[in-house]
Amino acid sequence: MLKIDNVYASAGDKEILKGLSLEVKSGEVHAIMGPNGAGKSTLGNLLAGMPYVQSQRGEVEYMGKDLLELEPEERAAEGVFLAFQYPVEIPGVNNMYFLRTALNAQRKYRGEEPMDSAQFLRMVKQKIKDMNMRDDLLKRPVNVGFSGGEKKRNEVFQMGVLEPKLAILDETDSGLDIDALKIVADGVNQLRAPDRSFIIITHYQRLLDYIKPDFVHVLADGKIVKSGPKELALELEEQGYGWLNN
Amino acid sequence: MAGLITDWTTLADDQLVNDSNLPDWLKAKKQQAVAQLKTLSVPSRKLEYWRYSDANRLALKGGEASPSSLESHPVSIANDGVEQVVIKLNDNGFTVSDNCPGSVRISPINAIDESRWLDLDMNQETVANLANTACFMHGVSVECSAALEVNLVFEYDYKFDEQWRYVRNQINVDTGAQFSVEERFNSGQVNVVNVYDLQRGSVVNRHQMANLSDAQNLISFNQFELSAQAQLNSTNQHLGGSLQHHLHRVNFNGNQAVFKMGTVNKSINNNNIADLVEVNHNKKSNQSDVTHRSIADGASQIFTNAKAFVAVGADESEIEQDLKNILLSPDAKIFSKPELEVYADEVVAAHGSTIGALDDQSLFYLQSRGIDIKQARAIMIESFEQEALL
Ligand SMILES: Nc1ncnc2c1ncn2[C@@H]1O[C@H](COP(=O)(O)OP(=O)(O)OP(=O)(O)O)[C@@H](O)[C@H]1O
Ligand SMILES: [Mg+2]
Repeated sequence: MLKIDNVYASAGDKEILKGLSLEVKSGEVHAIMGPNGAGKSTLGNLLAGMPYVQSQRGEVEYMGKDLLELEPEERAAEGVFLAFQYPVEIPGVNNMYFLRTALNAQRKYRGEEPMDSAQFLRMVKQKIKDMNMRDDLLKRPVNVGFSGGEKKRNEVFQMGVLEPKLAILDETDSGLDIDALKIVADGVNQLRAPDRSFIIITHYQRLLDYIKPDFVHVLADGKIVKSGPKELALELEEQGYGWLNN
Repeated sequence: MAGLITDWTTLADDQLVNDSNLPDWLKAKKQQAVAQLKTLSVPSRKLEYWRYSDANRLALKGGEASPSSLESHPVSIANDGVEQVVIKLNDNGFTVSDNCPGSVRISPINAIDESRWLDLDMNQETVANLANTACFMHGVSVECSAALEVNLVFEYDYKFDEQWRYVRNQINVDTGAQFSVEERFNSGQVNVVNVYDLQRGSVVNRHQMANLSDAQNLISFNQFELSAQAQLNSTNQHLGGSLQHHLHRVNFNGNQAVFKMGTVNKSINNNNIADLVEVNHNKKSNQSDVTHRSIADGASQIFTNAKAFVAVGADESEIEQDLKNILLSPDAKIFSKPELEVYADEVVAAHGSTIGALDDQSLFYLQSRGIDIKQARAIMIESFEQEALL
């Protein structure tokens, strides 16, 4: 599904990704851990098409396409979804309106009929139930005045509605209370499917108790320096990242 | 250009000689205006209020269009199915739709009672507005004496023949009366003066809508006299045009009155929009909120200026000026100036002004969910406009 091959990328004047390679197959869940400032969010941003992240070298192939050639909205319609580490607040834009506009824009790109508001409402109601989302958040402007945890839950809810093929969750577990963490993990687990993959960026092994990854990778100084089975996360939690310096 | 003053005074003199419907007292007012005009010079960039507008466009047929990414249609404002009474102003005079309630009296402006006439304070800065007093031939006087669920619509329906139409309207609102007014400028080239006189406890919701083509011009001068406990809520949408020049002047004449105004200035091609507000807190305990949201694209220029003057003794005045601006092209310019002049104690005042581009992070957020850049921009602009719409 996704093949990142020896990618170098920078943000601003800073070189951040330095020869990163990673392959994600359909249906797999990959966890990415690593110290602060290692480049984890930059990787997510690069895949989603953030304009100020520039790739210098290397290739990213996604479902047979050159991902870096696509506009951000094209990537979304092709099934790439990034749950942001810091979701922005957009005053004046209603959450429901935003979601429906986004969904219909994606459907249009894929040559599908738009959803009318009745259909959309029915679908969203079902998702609210399935994902234990608070519907009052949906009536408010996008993320405006949401608590840290509420923003994260809103990201996961968007993922549930948009049903991406490749979902990248950037520290979606940070700032969540125990109950919210379970709700978010449930949301991910419900979406797990043979044709859907996840990249889960996290600092805590705790989330991985709920979402069992197929692989755990350590990203440090712009590249993957270690990969292993899910037990690697436990090791990291015990040892920290001091060993990277040896 | 130098001929503009002569154009105005000639037009006024013709009218003074030929218009048999002018009462003598009004003739005298017009003669005064002509006399004052002769002491002034044409608007130019030397004036504060014309510094950021091309006053040559007063004499021109309109500006040149350059491409824009902006949609020209305005954000619609819900009207909740309120009954509309339509006043059509056209070259034959005016017509009123036949559903006009008895408590609203509409007559030609020339028939206004002298006791209700308001002399406006004009000077060099407002010379183009003074020209209106000298030259107006159109307009109505409206008197409303009841609290009504009615939207009174002024529709400007003049031929567009590169001649200015000078229109003066006066809206008198009796004690406790209440209604809505919508001023719709869709056609022609209009220089208008509107005087709103609100008596104690009356309420007017006003909507000024100027959605102009690239060749059209509009000059408006709007004066609001607010007695105690009166409230005026005004929403203005100024879109396009070659030249738009709006001045809103507010006088608080009693206590505990409220003036709220939200304005969207959207300048799409090569438009010049000046949007000026003067609020005079002459008395105690009045509140004024002025919000501007301006968007400039192409080679447009926008000047927004909100002034509040708080007189000695006008304590407990509350003032808010909130001006935000978005530039969409490197050639567009916006000048944004909140101003406070306070001579009283215990005044609560907040003012702010920002100029920026559309927020990249928000645009990317929308894009990352599948919304293309063009639509993402439109959504962001619309939400920005909404902040000004009351
Ligand atoms: N636009 C930018 N301009 C300059 N430096 C940047 C920019 N964006 C990110 N960086 C820097 O790049 C490095 C990697 O940032 P990134 O956000 O990818 O780290 P991270 O691994 O996600 O860290 P964390 O665990 O703290 O979220 C950091 O040192 C950061 O300060
Ligand atoms: Mg990060």
